[in-house]
Amino acid sequence: MKYLSLFGGTIQNLENGLAYASVKQKTIAQNIANVDTPNYKSKDVSFAQMFSDAKQSSMAAYRTDTKHFGFKMREYSPGVFSYTNMRYRQNGNGVDMDKEQANLATNQIYYNALIDRVSGKLNSLQTVIKGG
Amino acid sequence: MSIFHSMNTTASALTSQRLRMDVISSNMANVDTTRGRLVNGEWEPYRRKSVTLKPLEGQFSSFLNVAVGHSSKGQVGNGVKVSRITEDRETPFKLVFDPSHPDADESGYVEMPNVDPLREMVDLISATRSYEANVTVFNANKAMLTKALEIGK
Repeated sequence: MKYLSLFGGTIQNLENGLAYASVKQKTIAQNIANVDTPNYKSKDVSFAQMFSDAKQSSMAAYRTDTKHFGFKMREYSPGVFSYTNMRYRQNGNGVDMDKEQANLATNQIYYNALIDRVSGKLNSLQTVIKGG
Repeated sequence: MSIFHSMNTTASALTSQRLRMDVISSNMANVDTTRGRLVNGEWEPYRRKSVTLKPLEGQFSSFLNVAVGHSSKGQVGNGVKVSRITEDRETPFKLVFDPSHPDADESGYVEMPNVDPLREMVDLISATRSYEANVTVFNANKAMLTKALEIGK
């Protein structure tokens, strides 16, 4: 989508980064929630796979007329996979709590950094609009 | 996949761990209960209960995705749920010699519950730690959502 070239580029990229960070947050929450579930295998998000999946992961509306609005449903989170062979504990569970906690901290900092950049970008735009 | 998806995931885990804690409390409280259940006119001691967890993944949207041909992988899942509470029928009852006990048999032995306080303590710590870990995730998520509200300020 191109509203104005004003918002293109940087903000778009930051938005993609935020989308990744929020899916990552969901997988971490899911892994830690299932830390005591037998045979649960931990999940992760692949940044590269996310972009290739994103193209085919949505269900688009069937349009019979060119005047119809097209819309897409995205109930699906791209790029998520399980470590199916990982066996970390006796009950078949594959969640490494230390790793998950470290990922949680990293992801939070990453997310905050992206938010900071979006805000910075919007602030500089505002400065330009107001003329200093 | 709403904004609060990960909070709901964490909440399901908090509920499950709390239930686990309740079951452990019940086991510990009944460590000396000789009249747990009446079977064929005879009292049977309390049996140790344990909670079985399973991942909560079968939601409508995931079935729909499989139905339209997308693979079922790539789903984050919706947390955890308690699938069942089972009674321990493997571990035998402890036999204690106490002829004055009203539930003693002819030779003076009383059947005591198959609850092992040591094992319950280990489970208790495990449940507490898991609960704490989930609280950490919840707070992290809350901080992220609050931070997202700062965009454009």
